Amino acid sequence: MAPNLHLPHVLVLPEDRADSQLANGFLLTLPLFSRRMQVLVEAGGWTRAIDQFEADHIVGLERWPNRFLVLLLDFDNHEGRLTHVKSRIPEHLQDRVFVLGSLTNPEDLRRSFGTSLEDIGKALAKDCQEDSYESWGHDLLRHNAAEIDRLRNFVRPILFPTN
Amino acid sequence: MIRRLYVNNFRCLQNFDLPIAGKPSVLLIGRNGAGKSTVGAALEILQKIARGTNRVGELVKPKDCTRNRTDVPMRFEIEIELEKRIYGYTVAFELHEGFREMRVLEEKLLFEGKPIFTRELAQVTLSRQGKVTEAKFLIDWHLVALPIVQQQSPKDPLFLFKQWLAQMLLLRPIPKLISGNSDQETLQPNPEVSDFGSWFAGLLAFAPAAYSRIDEYLKQVMPDLKDIKNPLVGADSRSLTVDFSTDQGTLTLPFADLSDGEKCFMICALVFAANRANGPVLCFWDEPDNYLSLDEVGHFTTALRRAFELGGQFVATSHNPETINRFSDENTLVLQRNSHLEPTTVRPLSDLQIKGDLVGAIVRGEL
Repeated sequence: MAPNLHLPHVLVLPEDRADSQLANGFLLTLPLFSRRMQVLVEAGGWTRAIDQFEADHIVGLERWPNRFLVLLLDFDNHEGRLTHVKSRIPEHLQDRVFVLGSLTNPEDLRRSFGTSLEDIGKALAKDCQEDSYESWGHDLLRHNAAEIDRLRNFVRPILFPTN
Repeated sequence: MIRRLYVNNFRCLQNFDLPIAGKPSVLLIGRNGAGKSTVGAALEILQKIARGTNRVGELVKPKDCTRNRTDVPMRFEIEIELEKRIYGYTVAFELHEGFREMRVLEEKLLFEGKPIFTRELAQVTLSRQGKVTEAKFLIDWHLVALPIVQQQSPKDPLFLFKQWLAQMLLLRPIPKLISGNSDQETLQPNPEVSDFGSWFAGLLAFAPAAYSRIDEYLKQVMPDLKDIKNPLVGADSRSLTVDFSTDQGTLTLPFADLSDGEKCFMICALVFAANRANGPVLCFWDEPDNYLSLDEVGHFTTALRRAFELGGQFVATSHNPETINRFSDENTLVLQRNSHLEPTTVRPLSDLQIKGDLVGAIVRGEL
């Protein structure tokens, strides 16, 4: 049977396996509606993620108006990276594309939280569910605040429809 | 939940310890012949014992000894945690000179570290429990004692342990063999799940509310599903049918006519229902992604993992990149074997420090 792509759904494009594991934790969180979220194959680096976004996902986002996409990247302490990535997202898709990531890299995040990336992903999802900023407020994550606010408006009702 | 599974001298498993304690879901990866399915085979032997097979010759053969080393005992040890209580069961077999069938060398069941029974060769000792005094008796050394030791009540640790072991879901389904017909009820499906109809009937007879869990999942993966019926088709026989409905009309299909992948959805739904209704269970599913379309693999794996987050334990094997990506380094175990002459080794993926693309490394044979 064909999946219903007309219904709201969220694609997550992780830069690497570490980011993919953060997304796994998100998926495992109950009562997230996991079928509305699909984690794509890791891109293999942030530049490749952007290239892949431009090559494969702009068309899909234009074709499916209920599709949202999260780019899960490492900022590697580059202040300008978010601006650069945002500049590569076409204006008419800016509302449906989100850019999130650790200020440095997920390994630092794992060391700092002292737990697995999957468990960190669960904690971040719990924040989204409960409208809190406990984990998102971490030093390595708080720069995502503006994107998280947008996600809460657009994506939270898709993934946590019973809230 | 399994705290410890130790196997020695069984096929490719030599001094083998499966490190899955505390993990609600685990993935076993490794090349063909690495020993992933043999882990399931070891669990099947323990399950057969709990389901009543006690003749040693029907459980293991001398040829199951690693490299035919019949001079070394074959040993299975399992430690589980059920409702915060620890159960441990050990059985060891040996081949006595001049015999063709192996015999029991040692057997014991412990509850919270104290023996319920112990056994050496033919001598079984039932430990003192409450007012029941210690008892000793002899048993044919070609028979395993666990199935025949009498349990006192449904609260008896012996009963609870055997029931848990018997109700493990050890699955390697062959959809073509699943007709949906049944003439009995069971909570203990066979590994091929050819008795799906009996399992469906047994689960709903045991817990009718389980249907809502089955229905909830199936309507997510097959939105046009309307109903599953299990009507009588003879004096004692039933045959499952599946109703579909859209605004274009309705269609009723015999269960046998579902696709292989759709039958796997059905099995998955019963796994969820079983874990909730008569769980927590252990589910070992050998390559659950077989028969599934690529867009479903990730959802299917995630759904199984989620179902065991709050209780029970899910162990899968896989070669599928989508499945591998839906597990993380700390819950992925890599089984390796250098040659058919060497035993299986197991290491958590997190210990291997793979840099870069994991699936790429697997494809290149670098793991």
